Amino acid sequence: MIEEPYRWLEAVENRREYVREQLKGGSPAFGAKLPDGILLLSVGTGNSKVFELFDRHALAALGHPADIEKIRQAAIDAAHMEAFTRAPEDVSLRRLVSFGLSPQLKTSFEQIFSAPFLIEMLLAEVHPNRNEDLMVRLHFDGSFEFVTGPFIVVGSNPESEKAAFTWLSQQLEGKVDRAVIIETMLQAWWVLRENKSFAEIPSEGERRAGWRAAVQDRVLEIGWLERNSTRQARFTWLPFTPGS
Amino acid sequence: MTDSIAGDFLSLLQSRSVPVSASERGATAPVETQATTVFAFHYGEGVLMAGDRRATAGNVIVTDRVDKVIEIDATSMLAIAGVPATAFEMARVMQTSFEYYRRSQLQPLSLPAKVRALARLLRENLPMTMQGIGIVVPLFAGLDIQRTPAQPLIYFYDPLGAQFQAVGYAASGSGSGTIRSILSYQEKYGAPRPTEMNLQQAVQFTLRLLMTASEFDSATGGINPETNTFATIKLLDANGVRTVSAEEQGKHLRVV
Repeated sequence: MIEEPYRWLEAVENRREYVREQLKGGSPAFGAKLPDGILLLSVGTGNSKVFELFDRHALAALGHPADIEKIRQAAIDAAHMEAFTRAPEDVSLRRLVSFGLSPQLKTSFEQIFSAPFLIEMLLAEVHPNRNEDLMVRLHFDGSFEFVTGPFIVVGSNPESEKAAFTWLSQQLEGKVDRAVIIETMLQAWWVLRENKSFAEIPSEGERRAGWRAAVQDRVLEIGWLERNSTRQARFTWLPFTPGS
Repeated sequence: MTDSIAGDFLSLLQSRSVPVSASERGATAPVETQATTVFAFHYGEGVLMAGDRRATAGNVIVTDRVDKVIEIDATSMLAIAGVPATAFEMARVMQTSFEYYRRSQLQPLSLPAKVRALARLLRENLPMTMQGIGIVVPLFAGLDIQRTPAQPLIYFYDPLGAQFQAVGYAASGSGSGTIRSILSYQEKYGAPRPTEMNLQQAVQFTLRLLMTASEFDSATGGINPETNTFATIKLLDANGVRTVSAEEQGKHLRVV
């Protein structure tokens, strides 16, 4: 099959469709650069969507749990090896993604006789200077973009992800209150999760009630990379109860 | 992704052929910096661990600005006595290993495992210890989160890696004899006893201990408020590790 270029392209395209199909129904994830740090949010089963990677680095992902685990482990291994052989300050998200995770995902995706990674993710790196904060959107095929704006959405479908991002950016423009941002992100999470349209979005009351009902049997995973902490490890979990 | 033991950073290093430390040394080793005074004791609010800041090589004072008490992670700390080159590397291995385990396995390493990890590093340092050029005799304090409420505990080691839990206090280094004598006296006859001291009393007591040790041991640096030279002091309680800054030490010392 792969001897013919056209069939190889077709196989890759089929593979892309297969991955997107498998990712449908995945719990979306969100990221926000804020004055005091970087917020990562998703809804899962606890320690299943948002993860600490290194002192200033974190990951939020949707996809197959085994694939999330493989990528998470690879990133943690690489970061700690770099910190030990050089210094913790040398661990950089740019290098971790560009030279580590992205080539690995691309190779896996294009090897059409083996299973591809079923994963979509965002990675974040906090700095003492807010302007140097980094967020990266990394896709299952290894392609990635450095996020320039303050927000990021990770969805299973590119169109709905873009719609959610546009809506979120409008809703949160100029806002820095963490509780407001979490509430709005959870509303966007519910709209994506329920496969509703952002063009004809349900009322705020429906959205507020919707996400609260939807997270009843799940765990809100809200990670926080603290900018000005006296500790080396900047990652903490933020408590947030649906009633608040 | 790797064929290392899950969560074990040392086996990850081995799988990538990264050496942890040098195991062989030449017959004519250079003079190495050593000698020190470090100690830890239980006070009213947790564990206090302290060390002087002097590093010596033979009769030469190399520096008076070494930090010999090191935060390993949020709930454990290490005081090093012996050859700094080896001791600092052990601290670095522990820092990376504990955090690697916590992040990769999504749970913190237990206190017994942390205590044994240091014992393992000391055992692996046996060739250097036997040659007499890489000896390390550290103290370790960690928070036992299996107990309710979480309790800070102190451990001391012999150079071969045997570990012992200290009931009230532990000391190591060339000035430790003086420290142990005073701590023993204070524990038996003192008022307040170390376990009854509040933070201010414990810090004052610590600084006086170091000043006394430095009178009898030239390798122990004392403290000098005039030059803002104080000790390294860290505290461990149910909230984790905290450093007592030089300014804070100066403030506590002035309150008599």
